[in-house]
Amino acid sequence: MAQDMTLLWGSGSPPCWRVMIALEEKNLQGYNSKLLSFDKMEHKSQQVLDINPRGQVPSFKHGDLIINESYAACFYLESRFKSQGTKLIPDGAEEQALMFQRTFEGLTLYEKMAAVIFYTYYVPEGERLEAALKRNEEALVAELKLWEGYLEKLGSGSYLAGKSVSMTDVVVFPTVATLFRFGLSAERYPKLGAYYALMKERPSVKASWPPHWLENPKGQDTLKDM
Amino acid sequence: MAKDMTLMWGAGSPPCWRVMIALEEKNLQGYNSKQLSFEKGEHKSKDVMAINPRGQLPAFKHGNIVLNESYGICLYLEDQFKSQGTKLTPDNKAENALMLQRMFEGLTLFDAMKQVLFYTRFVPENERHDSAQKRNAENLKSEVGRWESYLQGSGPYLAGKTFSLADVIVFPVIAFLFRFGLSEEHYPKLAAYHNTLKDRPSIKSTWPPNWVDTPGQPALKDL
Repeated sequence: MAQDMTLLWGSGSPPCWRVMIALEEKNLQGYNSKLLSFDKMEHKSQQVLDINPRGQVPSFKHGDLIINESYAACFYLESRFKSQGTKLIPDGAEEQALMFQRTFEGLTLYEKMAAVIFYTYYVPEGERLEAALKRNEEALVAELKLWEGYLEKLGSGSYLAGKSVSMTDVVVFPTVATLFRFGLSAERYPKLGAYYALMKERPSVKASWPPHWLENPKGQDTLKDM
Repeated sequence: MAKDMTLMWGAGSPPCWRVMIALEEKNLQGYNSKQLSFEKGEHKSKDVMAINPRGQLPAFKHGNIVLNESYGICLYLEDQFKSQGTKLTPDNKAENALMLQRMFEGLTLFDAMKQVLFYTRFVPENERHDSAQKRNAENLKSEVGRWESYLQGSGPYLAGKTFSLADVIVFPVIAFLFRFGLSEEHYPKLAAYHNTLKDRPSIKSTWPPNWVDTPGQPALKDL
């Protein structure tokens, strides 16, 4: 079961973290966990390329099956291990639809965050423009307001897609955590702040918290004025 | 059932097309189909904003349920209507895993395509760089090459022997590439895949109306 699984991952990578939370939630602790260093370019090493020709993490194997897309791995684990651990996909039409809606909007949230905090990583020096970064920041603010609204509507103590934890939380919480790691203000975004505080305590999240965040509890302040 | 469903869509848009293919495959013809014009800005109209505050298509309603993410809609339809129409998720574990892998890699393919074909739409004039366009073209070329190699394996579908959600979701992107001039000679496996699936009833009946009997564009012919 879990011992037939291998996950290659990097600390702080939201896509990797999603899969780790899913593994915990489905009671699949005991998988072969290989932490790689982005700084040492280990995500481009042969052991990754052997599983993932794209040279990206997460790279995930279960026996002979390979799934290197974080959402795919999460959906795979839920489908394959439906009867154990936390139920991540609600059956009822309304709950399920909301879960799918927020899960996929989570991709947009991640992109808009990455366009700000990873701007200099993605855009070569000669192509960077203040106007473009400013536009990306405005887009992220608009996106964050949407998510504040979503949580407001569901009421306090709720998860992203309803009263219970679901796939949405597995895939989107790492993005929310990264926002706060990069200095997002919980005063300006109280609903997201409350959600973050709630999920931080969840065993699956605690067990998979990025190791380098534990070593250096202070993150960056890129988003503090957002 | 289908008559409690409404889909707002725009012609040629892969996210919209996927949903239409899924509805056909699950025998949900008869839904309220509202075609809107991107050119006229109808995706930002009050009718759309009422269902989708993001002002994007597809916008989908099933009774009181609203779902505006194409992957979400396809997964929802497959789950909620699992006992009717085509089974879009293979039972075989390996095919199922491959289906999921390709479905989500489809996001990367679509993104790479948009960066090339919609560059001037998304990037303001004074921010455009030749270096960026060149990089985007190389990235698309390598991405399309990857998908060509995926179809070298056992097929004829993206997940293997059975038509699945991977095809529902990714075929519209591949069709878009050929519409914009992708060369059948450079990419024979993709071309064969495209030509086989073109005739599938769910795809034929949802073919973008503005593509029928009109020539495409040559932007990608040299890729």
